[in-house]
Amino acid sequence: MPPQSPFHRGAAPALTSRREFLWRSGGGLGGIALAHLLGSESLRAASGAPLRLGTHHAPRAKRVVQLFMAGGASHIDLFDHKPELVKRHGQPSDFGEPVEAFQDGLGPWKAPVWPFRPYGQCGKLLAEPVAALGAVADELAFIHNVTSKSGVHSAGTLLQTTGFLLPGFPGSGCWVSYGLGTLNENLPTFVVLPDHRGFASNGSKNWDNAFLPGQHQGVMIYPGTDRPIAHLHPPAAPFLSEASEKESREILRSLNQQHARSRTDDPRLDARIRAYELAARMQLAAPEALDIAHEPAHILKLYGLDHGRSSFDKEINPLEETDYFSRKCLVARRLLERGVRYVQIWSGNDNGFPRRNWDSHEDIERDQGPLATGMARGAAALIQDLKQRGLLDDTLVIWSTEFGRMPSTQGGKGRDHNPYCFTTWMAGGGIRGGTTYGPSDEWAYKPADRKNPTQVYDIHATMLHLLGIDHTQLTFRHNGIDRRLTDVHGHVIRDLLA
Amino acid sequence: MIPRADLPALLALLLLSVLPAAAAAPPPLPPAASRTVDFVGDIQPIFTKHCLGCHGPDKQRSSYRLDAKAIAFRGGESGHPAILPGHSADSPLLLMVAHQVPDLLMPPKGEPLSVAEVSTLRAWIDQGAPWPDSASVRLDAANSWWSLRPIANLTPPAVEGVSHPVDRFVRDRLARERLVPSPEADRRTLIRRLSFDLLGLPPTPAEVDAFVRDARPDAYEHLVDRLLASPHYGERWARHWLDVVHYGDTHGYDKDKPRPHAWPYRDYVIRSFNADKPYSRFVQEQLAGDAFFPDTAEGIEALGFISAGPWDFIGHEELPETKTDGKIARHLDRDDMVANTMGTFVSLTVHCAQCHDHKFDPIPQEDYYRLQAVFAAVDRTERQYYREPDLNRKRSELEARSRQWQRDQRALEEKVTLHGGDALKEVREQLASAEKSARDGRPAAYGFHSGIATREDESRWVQVDLGESRPLSEITLLPCHDDFNGIGAGFGFPRRFRIEASDDPAFDGQVTLLADRTAADVPNPGLEPVALPFATVRARYVRVTATRLAPRQNDFIFALAELEARSQPGGTNVARGASVTSLDSVEAPERWQRVNLTDGKAPRTAPDPAELERLRQRRDAILAERVPAEVRDGLTRAGTELEATRKSLEALPKPLTTFVGAVHYGRGNFRGTGPDEGRPRPIPLLSRGDVNKPGRPVSPGALRCVTASTPFPPAEEASESARRIALAQWILDPQNPLSWRSIVNRAWQQRFGRGLVDTPNDFGKMGGLPSHPELLDWLAREFRDGAQSFKQLDRLLVTSATYRQVSHRAESSDRDADNRLLWRMNPRRLDAESVRDAILAVSGKLDPTPFGPGFQDFVIEKPEHSPHYQYHLHDPEDPRSHRRSVYRFLVRSQQEPFMVALDCADPSMRVDRRNETLTPLQALAMLNSRLTVAMAQHFAQRVKAECSDSAETQVAHAFRHALQREPEAEERARLTAYTQQHGLAATCRVLLNLNEFVFVD
Repeated sequence: MPPQSPFHRGAAPALTSRREFLWRSGGGLGGIALAHLLGSESLRAASGAPLRLGTHHAPRAKRVVQLFMAGGASHIDLFDHKPELVKRHGQPSDFGEPVEAFQDGLGPWKAPVWPFRPYGQCGKLLAEPVAALGAVADELAFIHNVTSKSGVHSAGTLLQTTGFLLPGFPGSGCWVSYGLGTLNENLPTFVVLPDHRGFASNGSKNWDNAFLPGQHQGVMIYPGTDRPIAHLHPPAAPFLSEASEKESREILRSLNQQHARSRTDDPRLDARIRAYELAARMQLAAPEALDIAHEPAHILKLYGLDHGRSSFDKEINPLEETDYFSRKCLVARRLLERGVRYVQIWSGNDNGFPRRNWDSHEDIERDQGPLATGMARGAAALIQDLKQRGLLDDTLVIWSTEFGRMPSTQGGKGRDHNPYCFTTWMAGGGIRGGTTYGPSDEWAYKPADRKNPTQVYDIHATMLHLLGIDHTQLTFRHNGIDRRLTDVHGHVIRDLLA
Repeated sequence: MIPRADLPALLALLLLSVLPAAAAAPPPLPPAASRTVDFVGDIQPIFTKHCLGCHGPDKQRSSYRLDAKAIAFRGGESGHPAILPGHSADSPLLLMVAHQVPDLLMPPKGEPLSVAEVSTLRAWIDQGAPWPDSASVRLDAANSWWSLRPIANLTPPAVEGVSHPVDRFVRDRLARERLVPSPEADRRTLIRRLSFDLLGLPPTPAEVDAFVRDARPDAYEHLVDRLLASPHYGERWARHWLDVVHYGDTHGYDKDKPRPHAWPYRDYVIRSFNADKPYSRFVQEQLAGDAFFPDTAEGIEALGFISAGPWDFIGHEELPETKTDGKIARHLDRDDMVANTMGTFVSLTVHCAQCHDHKFDPIPQEDYYRLQAVFAAVDRTERQYYREPDLNRKRSELEARSRQWQRDQRALEEKVTLHGGDALKEVREQLASAEKSARDGRPAAYGFHSGIATREDESRWVQVDLGESRPLSEITLLPCHDDFNGIGAGFGFPRRFRIEASDDPAFDGQVTLLADRTAADVPNPGLEPVALPFATVRARYVRVTATRLAPRQNDFIFALAELEARSQPGGTNVARGASVTSLDSVEAPERWQRVNLTDGKAPRTAPDPAELERLRQRRDAILAERVPAEVRDGLTRAGTELEATRKSLEALPKPLTTFVGAVHYGRGNFRGTGPDEGRPRPIPLLSRGDVNKPGRPVSPGALRCVTASTPFPPAEEASESARRIALAQWILDPQNPLSWRSIVNRAWQQRFGRGLVDTPNDFGKMGGLPSHPELLDWLAREFRDGAQSFKQLDRLLVTSATYRQVSHRAESSDRDADNRLLWRMNPRRLDAESVRDAILAVSGKLDPTPFGPGFQDFVIEKPEHSPHYQYHLHDPEDPRSHRRSVYRFLVRSQQEPFMVALDCADPSMRVDRRNETLTPLQALAMLNSRLTVAMAQHFAQRVKAECSDSAETQVAHAFRHALQREPEAEERARLTAYTQQHGLAATCRVLLNLNEFVFVD
């Protein structure tokens, strides 16, 4: 691991007031990394060696890439095949109990929109739009009995992204950054690639650092745009040139050092000098990391980015969705390669019209067809690409959504929210591929074993476990509570581990 | 001692759950055993065997428990002692277990205590009821926790040569730790420190000069007084207060809609600090200003405290309380009010007791729900008001009168409906529709609206299910009206369509074509019903398929207001209320949704006056025939009175609007407590915090671990506002040790950069310990018993030698590297607002205009659904955005990137202390934000305008503005050279990025 990078925690302060520095940069001392930092003080002072951040046990994965489908992807139409629905298609639905739907008025049972076919040695049944994932079926581990605590987009999304139903808690990537620190010197630890059409529910609350120190926030990147990262470069101004920039950096450093000379007891002054130097490095590193123009043709083909089109139909369509999602996946690979610890890719925006997310109340086929086709192409390419580079072994891939959809219609061609049962899948570092875990009932309406569903806490606990972290031990004290990503819940899903 | 005669009443109080009475006379009271009794050996086993099931670790019936010493003695909900050491025959506990009180036989079920056990218990009480602390659960240890102890009454220790009370406490401690205080900082440092601390702004070069040259011995005190009198003082304090109460200008959550009337609360806070409002009044106003100070504007605006936090629009307005998610939303909403109140005013984390008793602090779960009950009637809502109390009084009287007449009217209407039956219902509906059309001139009934197509030749269908196969001979289609794109009447009516009938919902099997208009375009019917007769067929399903859609705006749709089906022309519409399915639908309730197609409502063309008259006559005839005269008369009277009230309200001047915590009168799916006259919702204790597992209802109340004598009114008597009044009184009770310590600690943090307790929102066991407990208590007592003046408190703190120390010393102390004991002043990094305000100030662009709606440093796109707050589209040259940062419009879902990079407060969470990070992203924001680059140019222009000399003088002048000092020779030389090369604006940008610009010594 490289030396402790200031992208993670600011520059290394003077030993005398290190504790003070850590206190100022964010409160409690619950994280394993912080605890480790403090515990290592004497060791480090003696040896002068760079700090090594610790984990609770040997990690199976070093990085995470999370694919999030905003609006509620249909487990029924894509991943969780239910022959019973095919048989009963169009018959009045009978759930055997009163169903609390988000919008009222559940219609008849509805068969999956697309046919399913088996893939891989495991023979996993996948629907037509996600057929591209068939190529990596033996890498995937499906969890079909995930339940949420809310059928509302906002709360449901926050639960998946932060572990809490209400805003004000750090995103999962923030926790990973806080716990493990960075793997690189030039790029942020936690990068978010939002849907280019807009935010999903809660906007940046899904990846904000909340009470964790600011360096753990998810940094939004919009690859391929004029301003991929906020403030990366100054706006055009008559007095700014390459030469003035270069010289201004030197003057700043020199005047700041002079100022610090009479204030040697304040490590923050050096930390800020370092932050400016790193900012300059990031200005060089980020554009290179985001530039896919030099990717070879076979890679562009793998991701479906060889279509040669620059404009798309107005109506939602698979080609456009593939382009957008795959581009983010390819950029994600480049970021992961360069040491970004956690990348979160979003598919789907807020609930405007025309619909560009997975909240298919009106028409599953119209929206989830193109969205899923694009997602599957990008995700499959990413997994294959990581594998051929030897990165899949220690990169954890997580596919999630805030909830699934009902096995019945809402009267037309859409399905209502189903927070009672939906699908998440994982792949890569430490995951037993070709696994199907936690079956749903015959309608994929609720878990087959209602008493033992999988909750997002379990997925978060498993993720942290694979990263070498005991989820009960990664804490941060805020307003009197030792907060955890998993709140007071969570069990590692051992059946998924390789 | 309690007189025996009072015991039964007292015992009834002691246990609220009165148990079935046994009629038998009390048995004789056994005598006390004559041996020496041991608590652990003799008494604890009796409690365990008979009592702990209901009064132990798992259950605490009547809040009484016999495993915790303090509560066992103190008694349960009644507050009367249960054990009186030395007086067994007067101890309620003994009398109950000895079955001396017929209504209260303990234990109520199971085996009663044996005579021997009662004798043993008596002996124990008579022997003084010795109970070793080690044999009690930890609970009662809580009463010895520092923050719950009474505030000590101390005098500052005597320290030779030191008179300032703050210094006496600090120096005394330093001396004991053998630490040496630091000398006083120079005047330039002091004025920079004071200006940023008290105002959040840098001093001007002229102010620095004046202070440096001020030869008066009390020059410093004069400076302090001048700053305390500045209108910016309140802005500075308010920003911190707004952090603590998590104030924001949007709702947060899913759609994050703007909350356009939140700002009066922000202005209220600023005004309160500037007016040096006594703290008690400040608290009273924020929790119950409407009740403490009726009809005052401040009493209304201050209630913005209750509503300051986020609000779940979907969870309240789209989901009814009958659904789990609706229940959760409302529960979390009250939770936010409770957490905000207790975190802000008493620095406790009561919300941890939502699912179980607090794990660390002595807060039982029931106490948490008692606090929820305080807020059980209020929601976040808008309220109209005036600055003038008279007008507010008048307005609330009229509103109350209006509500009373509405209630009367509703009651009478119910009678009318009952008497009038279906005939009345029908004619009324017709009349209402006709009158609405006549009144509006524009009809406004709602309809079905297909999904939006990009081509006109895409087909869309909608169908109705008549429930069973029925004879049909006429279908009537009623068009919609919508002003979208200026279309109006006939909106969405298909240009070509066909109507089919079938008994198969999928229209796969036998399908009969009823009408075919697919060959040629149909002229738009406007609002005329399109009746399509045909030879009678039998069918259950009727489907209308549009084969050429209606144009909308570069796209195409199919919309219908109503589909009617009849077995014969002029017959009953059998499609009324039929369920509707469709290929797709925009489903945007209530305007557009499938169910509208069969709801009996459709826009009509303006009705014939004769038709209207006929309908009215028919209605009146039905009323006269069926409804008793006194009901009709009462209704007429109510109508007249309501109309008169409405006119009086209209005659009042246009009111102001503010967003507050108050009784809500309902909107959308959301029904506040307004319809119930503000009666608080019952609040049950939720098992494990699960909204679907409500337990027994709880009464409003506060924390029983706090010694404060303020009584809460019983639930059944407690009006909505009485509950909030009681909570405010409990907080402000002089005996409440938390409140006073909490507020002086916040003030200390503002001046010294760190609180005496460094967790200002948590004085519980997970929080920090006070570094100077005596000083904290002394300040709390002085503040409480004095004028409760923030300005006096601030003056006290900043005139101390402790505050005036230098912040850097060549030799640092290993013993207290963190400077917890304040042997020097803490140097500080400016907060985000101070950085932004300082950039504007030194650039000469800061607009000091106070108050009013927040300025928006973003552009809103797509406001109709989920607004997109686009910060990068904002023009940094927009002068409206050059006001102080406290007047920013604060978006919850996405915050301004520059402010975020500088660790601004997140309005989704309660922030008692800013994070302080130094990241590369922050460096990039400081260097490259459009604000910095634009202001660097203004800064340069200003310097040039003020001093037109050489680059060297300009550099020095800019330096004085930015850093309030002269540049050193080397600084001057380097910057002059740089200026000559790249211009003054580039130099100004460098100055704004210096460490010295963002750090205060």
